[in-house]
Amino acid sequence: AAAGLCPYRALLARRGGALRAFCGSVRGLAAGPETHFGFQRVTEAERREKIYRVFESVAKKYDVMNDSMTLGIHRVWKDILVHKMNPSPGTLLLDVAGGTGDIAFRFINYVRSVQERQLQRKLRHHQNLSWQEIAESYQEDKSKSLGDSQVVVCDINKEMLKVGKQKAQHLGYSEGLSWVLGNAEELPFDDDKFDVYTIAFGIRNVTRIDLALQEAYRVLKPGGRFLCLEFSQVSNSLLSRLYDLYSFQVIPVLGEVIAGDWKSYQYLVESIRRFPPQEEFKAMIEDAGFFKVDYQNLNSGIVAIHSGFKL
Amino acid sequence: AMLRGATVVLRRALSSGQGPEPGQVPGSARLEPSLLRFLVCPLSKRPLRYDEATNELINEELGIAYPVIDGIPNMIPEAARTTQKKPPAEGSKQP
Repeated sequence: AAAGLCPYRALLARRGGALRAFCGSVRGLAAGPETHFGFQRVTEAERREKIYRVFESVAKKYDVMNDSMTLGIHRVWKDILVHKMNPSPGTLLLDVAGGTGDIAFRFINYVRSVQERQLQRKLRHHQNLSWQEIAESYQEDKSKSLGDSQVVVCDINKEMLKVGKQKAQHLGYSEGLSWVLGNAEELPFDDDKFDVYTIAFGIRNVTRIDLALQEAYRVLKPGGRFLCLEFSQVSNSLLSRLYDLYSFQVIPVLGEVIAGDWKSYQYLVESIRRFPPQEEFKAMIEDAGFFKVDYQNLNSGIVAIHSGFKL
Repeated sequence: AMLRGATVVLRRALSSGQGPEPGQVPGSARLEPSLLRFLVCPLSKRPLRYDEATNELINEELGIAYPVIDGIPNMIPEAARTTQKKPPAEGSKQP
């Protein structure tokens, strides 16, 4: 029945921003307009439900799957993201869809090492300190080993947060780290609060990306930075074909073998294909009010980091 | 009296970040005080009151409460419960 209406709905989906915003704001509106789940057509409510179930299902194997699917390269991508952020001590980071904590932990490590280096430099310049003074300087910096930096990890999925919190305990992260169950489209944070907002491999799972971008803008301080790490479009045609082959033939099989879940990984691959290409996403970020929006392709566009500023 | 009690609870919650308070809610399940700087109601974006006794974040205006489970506040509106206002002088109006 939906087939005949499909092109019309697709057009509506792209152009009906104002109407959809109104619909979205009227809470309790039943299923909502049509959207996609991978290559299937579903209602917005169905999509949210399906995606929730995908991540509920993969949560425990999420990290293992990331390593096997990307052959560990996702770690490098995430390192690059945090290096690009270059946070200084005292930075307040909101990591959205950050479930298992990958970005949060890297942020903490980075800030800690910056603190350490600053401390080394300070000590090197004070050669004539007494032992007492040196001991004291170690004391006061120990209590603020993060230098008032803080990261709030927000995710919509309880299971992913649980895994993240357990990982944190396991790896010894406690200070300056907090966890919130929340929706990227409707953040439970006050305006103008954060220095940086990151969303790594999360935004393509958001049903209303425009709302998430607006919320990102709202919670950032003036001067704050938006950073998004996400799968994008590969321009090179040969690489693109190899990438498609790998994505559609290998990844779901890995999903079945490692996580016993072919369908979730099928969704994953399809959702990557569905996500707007670099320039289009850049325009969406600009629509939300961000300035100096730019992107950096990694691995020929398999992944891209989009950045924008709130002025 | 209830408002005073609530202020005391909030002040205690903000100051005692370290050890668990004597009471029903174990330390690990309580909300981290530092989050109170950022958290607002996702619907109205208005401030919330942390109720230490029930371990909930209350939006008085809308009459809803968001639960805190294992220290993680659940700020999804669908998960919030409505806080019923008790009718005054209950049971005093006997026929």
